[in-house]
Amino acid sequence: MGTSETAVDTEIAISVRGLTKTYGSFEALRGIDLEVRRGEVLALLGPNGAGKTTAVEILEGYRKRDGGTVSVLGADPERRDRDLRAKMGIVLQECAVDPYLTVAEAVTQRAGLYPAPRSVGEVIELVGLAPKAKARVKTLSGGQQRRLDLGLALVGDPELIFLDEPTTGFDPSARREAWDVVRGLCAEGRTVVLTTHYMDEAQALADTVTVIAAGQVVASGPPDTLGGRDHGETTVRFILPSGTSLADLPLPGGVVPTARGEFVEFHIAEPTSVLHTLTAWALERGEVLGGLAVSRPSLEDIYLALTGEDLP
Amino acid sequence: MNDLMVAKEQVRYEQKAYWRNPMAAIFTFLFPIVFLIVVGTSAGSARVPGTSLRYDQYTVVAMLTFGLIAACYTNLAMAICNRRETGVLKRMRGTPISVGSYIGGIIGSVLINVAILAVVVVGIGMAFYHLHFPYHVGATLVTLVVGIVTFGAIGVAVTVIIPNADAAPAVINGLYFPIVFVSGVFYPISSGSVLAQIADVFPIRHMITSLVSAFESGPGSGLRPGDLLVMLAWAVGALVFASRRFRWEPKHR
Repeated sequence: MGTSETAVDTEIAISVRGLTKTYGSFEALRGIDLEVRRGEVLALLGPNGAGKTTAVEILEGYRKRDGGTVSVLGADPERRDRDLRAKMGIVLQECAVDPYLTVAEAVTQRAGLYPAPRSVGEVIELVGLAPKAKARVKTLSGGQQRRLDLGLALVGDPELIFLDEPTTGFDPSARREAWDVVRGLCAEGRTVVLTTHYMDEAQALADTVTVIAAGQVVASGPPDTLGGRDHGETTVRFILPSGTSLADLPLPGGVVPTARGEFVEFHIAEPTSVLHTLTAWALERGEVLGGLAVSRPSLEDIYLALTGEDLP
Repeated sequence: MNDLMVAKEQVRYEQKAYWRNPMAAIFTFLFPIVFLIVVGTSAGSARVPGTSLRYDQYTVVAMLTFGLIAACYTNLAMAICNRRETGVLKRMRGTPISVGSYIGGIIGSVLINVAILAVVVVGIGMAFYHLHFPYHVGATLVTLVVGIVTFGAIGVAVTVIIPNADAAPAVINGLYFPIVFVSGVFYPISSGSVLAQIADVFPIRHMITSLVSAFESGPGSGLRPGDLLVMLAWAVGALVFASRRFRWEPKHR
């Protein structure tokens, strides 16, 4: 029993149970549970003020919790052990580097703080700043500074990396590059916790998506099945053939089509049979179902439904 | 990597960044040296009442104090404030560096700046104003060390009351410029005067009178324990205040 528990524990990078935090009379966190396995990417989603940052800053050791248990790489981050800090890499939202040092100096300085750092040149290469190695930090563009920030977080060869909105303000190609870096980190067995407002980012990178709203976890799971996304209703959408009306559509009872401009749209749990009937109906009439689309709920749909930020 | 080695490395990077930022160096070195030349050459060679120093020689002591305050108080407070508001302090707290190594690096860098300043300012005084090498070397060093501790501590403490980076220069300079004037940095204030009584509440005039005594020829150690005690009282008060209220992060929105 004891041995099997130990075996399980080494698999777990982060374990949080019943985490609470109050600022004055404001309950920022109201009993959060999280579990992140080593080598996994956890994406924390949630509206601003939902408690994401508070939760992450407790994991990073910046804030003290009011209640619950927290274990990060087997230690309590609140104690701020140096061993634990040496195993973590943190990227905050704002770039925080002395503007008068060069890129190479900043990375070398940071490397000197860790017991077993990675090679400085390799890290600068990894974040794509090799051509800027001798440039002063203050001459870098915003995107370059954020990449330097990422490099500084990686130079200590961390087991666990926290990324707070890592690609905010990036252009699309810079985002793809940043995603490749994150994927590379996971491939090396590192654990990543990231917060983001981009659903496509969570979809592309996360093994687990946890949605926090009003200080509580409202859903947690793989991005493809989050919030019953895999069981959710399918939306079928097409242009109504000319000379037909909504009432002509051969739909089973209980399925109510709605007109959206020239399009007609309906929701159904299992679309196979209704699509068969519908397409046969159209072909018999010598018509097509223009712009036919059959779509699963997107991660964004699920997120908006979960956080009550539904579109009007 | 032990703490001392890390601190030594930090000193190196602090110095690099310091000399590449013209503003900080101008405050610490250029201003006192320019004032020393401008005020010193026009001050004349009459004796300052109550001392054995000439007016131009007194300017050397005053500018050493002025530069030391710029290095310890102004530069330190600005650096801490900027780093806090830009998130550098928060980031450093997320690395394995010890607070001791980090602060040690900053103090080490300040010590180097004060040492350079002292050599340059006293050198100018000896070369052009017939200033004698301080008669009481021990008292000079003790006063400089107490000054570094005092103004450094006040520099750290003042960051507590600075709400954001925009307010930093106004608060930092606004607090000490009036005191600089009444403390006799630009012209000696005769003791017993109203100005002197106001100035004596604060540490700057005590630093100057203490340094004057250390530079003067005379019997005894040249130490002025009363002055040093007032300075140290400020240092202790500032450190207690800072240790209770110091912020590593910007204020929350």
